[in-house]
Amino acid sequence: MLLAILAAVGIGAAHHMDVEGHHISGMNNQVVWGLPHVFAIFLIVAASGALNLASIASVFGKIEYKPLARFSAVLSIALLVGGLAVLLLDLGRPDRLIVAMTHYNFKSIFAWNIILYSGFIVIALAYLWLMMERRFERWSKPAGMFAFAWRLILTTGTGSIFGFLVAREAYDSALLAPMFIVMSFSFGLAVFILLLLASFKLDQRELDGIHLQRLRKLLGLFSIGILYFVMLFHLTKLYGTQNHGFERFILLDGGVYTQLFWLFQIALGTLLPLFLLYAPRWQNSPKSLVLACLLIIQGGFAQLYVIIVGGQAFPLNIFPGYHVESSFFDGVIGTYTPSLWELLLGCAGLAGALLIALLVLRVLPILPQSLPGAKD
Amino acid sequence: MASELDNIELRPARRRFMQGAAALATTLIAPGVLLYKTGHAQGENEANAGNKDRPAIPRWGLLIDTNALSEADVDACVSACQREHGWSSDAGSPTDAQWIRKVHLTDKQSGQQTVLPMMCQHCADPPCVDVCPTGASFKRADGIVLVNKHTCIGCRYCMMACPYKARSFIHEVLQDQLAVAPRGKGTVESCTLCVHRIDRDGANAVPACAEAVNRGERKAILFGDLNDPDSEISQRLQSHRTTRLRADLGVDPGVSYQGL
Amino acid sequence: MRYLALSALLGWFACLPAAAAEVESSGFGAVVIPQPTKPGNASACVEPVDIMRRDHMKFLLHQRDATVLEGERDSKYSLVGCMDCHNATEPTETVVRYPDPQHFCAGCHLYASVKIDCFECHADRSLKQLQQGRLDLPLENLPLEDQPGSALLSLQTFHQQLGTSGGE
Repeated sequence: MLLAILAAVGIGAAHHMDVEGHHISGMNNQVVWGLPHVFAIFLIVAASGALNLASIASVFGKIEYKPLARFSAVLSIALLVGGLAVLLLDLGRPDRLIVAMTHYNFKSIFAWNIILYSGFIVIALAYLWLMMERRFERWSKPAGMFAFAWRLILTTGTGSIFGFLVAREAYDSALLAPMFIVMSFSFGLAVFILLLLASFKLDQRELDGIHLQRLRKLLGLFSIGILYFVMLFHLTKLYGTQNHGFERFILLDGGVYTQLFWLFQIALGTLLPLFLLYAPRWQNSPKSLVLACLLIIQGGFAQLYVIIVGGQAFPLNIFPGYHVESSFFDGVIGTYTPSLWELLLGCAGLAGALLIALLVLRVLPILPQSLPGAKD
Repeated sequence: MASELDNIELRPARRRFMQGAAALATTLIAPGVLLYKTGHAQGENEANAGNKDRPAIPRWGLLIDTNALSEADVDACVSACQREHGWSSDAGSPTDAQWIRKVHLTDKQSGQQTVLPMMCQHCADPPCVDVCPTGASFKRADGIVLVNKHTCIGCRYCMMACPYKARSFIHEVLQDQLAVAPRGKGTVESCTLCVHRIDRDGANAVPACAEAVNRGERKAILFGDLNDPDSEISQRLQSHRTTRLRADLGVDPGVSYQGL
Repeated sequence: MRYLALSALLGWFACLPAAAAEVESSGFGAVVIPQPTKPGNASACVEPVDIMRRDHMKFLLHQRDATVLEGERDSKYSLVGCMDCHNATEPTETVVRYPDPQHFCAGCHLYASVKIDCFECHADRSLKQLQQGRLDLPLENLPLEDQPGSALLSLQTFHQQLGTSGGE
């Protein structure tokens, strides 16, 4: 019920932004993408990763995860729909959605992403259906492989939205695509685990420890992967003197962005969860797993905020070697303060995604009664 | 036992499937690649039509002589553009549109100062055109980079991609738009090189910013056809040393600067 | 039970036109059938009336692409041309703006409930009226003190504000 209200309020907020114009949002001509995009990209990236469990079952043959595969697919679709909704509602002209679907510039990675996202929904639905129809059981494997390949391309595309932007020092990197892929694995799994535990608890089903152990280790592995890519990204940028301004900004004196990076993304979002996941005395504690998932998710939001907003806040270097001043805020750090409307819109996407997932769980047989102990 | 059998069957099946998936992926991407290549080739053919003696299609550009522009002149440019197109940035708000702006430069080492006007550079290879998902951001055959506001969905991706921060997004409901410059909430806009004047007067057109600062023979902002070797702008580009902003990006701007 | 529900539904649909007609004639929330004002200065529109009624949107949609993509501005289908005739009130009269049902386009579009977004960007009145407000005159003819509307900025005001806010 709460979710429905939250979703409705958020859509109302989006409508208000559409009617009034974006001046009521915090976004401006310097920072053009803000909090809604952080939410949207988190949801999309998590959606891609949430299908991981199903892929592990179908593609990599680990049949002990098969009972969880349907839930994985459902969650994946729900998260993607939520993320897309936020993205579309934030457009300056959301009434031109039909135009967006019929006019394509195939050189634009954004256009490719639109195709990839909509295609993904269709493919994931087909995959889900094949998994649920007993007579088509054997087709679920090829479908699973296709979905796996598709979502790797999709996440590469999402990372490339930023990676292909040559003009901005914060982007312009091929590393962003694989970074996003590992982020998708991590965030998707974290969301999946949280919702799995939540829905099992709601229905009082049994969840055995062995699965949780494996998922813990996977989650830890993915977090280490993200750390690796983040470190590599920044070290590479640091090596070039031309990027020192940007790196100083993110790592040292960028104010909120520096705080988000070190405290919320690295410390709380990566290091502390790793500790919680791997420390021996918490190995059997589901609470530590839940906490680790929550920390990873907030770390994901922080990371995306630093990438998306921080990357835009740092001014373009149009005149190398010169100090620049103008009435269009050249040469100064772009200011951005998220407004309530954007927060509501972002939360609406999240709420909407969870709402869809929960509704589907209620209506269709998605979750197993209990997870069998795995034979190793 | 069952798992062993599965493994044996899996490999050839997986190989076959991978082949099928690769074929499918190629089939899906091939039309896009073909479309891009044909579109690109067509564009190039059009631009090169009549290249033998005199180019049939012009490429409009500007040459801005910063030595001839005082700060008051640059202010006049901005003001002229505002009156011509009906935008204003008087509120100083970060959401204000700005088609052309005055930029103060101070050399970090020497402290030497320059003032110049900056607007959309009308690149030959515009990043904003590359990234627009609907193709609303486009380059006309005569080189002017425009936003087709009928197709613009307001995603602002072009604003992220522009190396010159030339584009603005309209953040509020507008009223009293001018007939020559339709602009509205939720779309992106930038300097149009006074395309309405160019469509009317061709090579004799004078953009509003140029009109504000050119006095007689002294043309601080020179507009002309870059494809015509006999035009005044081409001759001045040949005989004087000029620079383009962020030339390292290879986008080939149509706006050149003297005195930078 | 099922048939009862079905016939009730059909009955409701059948009554809708009658209800609409009643609403119209009763004046309660009445919708006025539009009678677009024909401008006095021109003898005929660019196409015969029955063709315009059916196809004006096609002409406009086609023309807008021709104008934006190819720079064709002097076609008979130009939107500026439409407004020059259809919203060319004399300077002494009050200007009619788009959402007002008296506006030529709004009259029919409000009635037919077909939302158009042209005037979110385009000027909804004639060039002459804009010129009456001096918005389209060339720079040298524009008196500094004669500057209506929020879209314009006089050089004076601009310089004033430049003094206070000059570059961040």
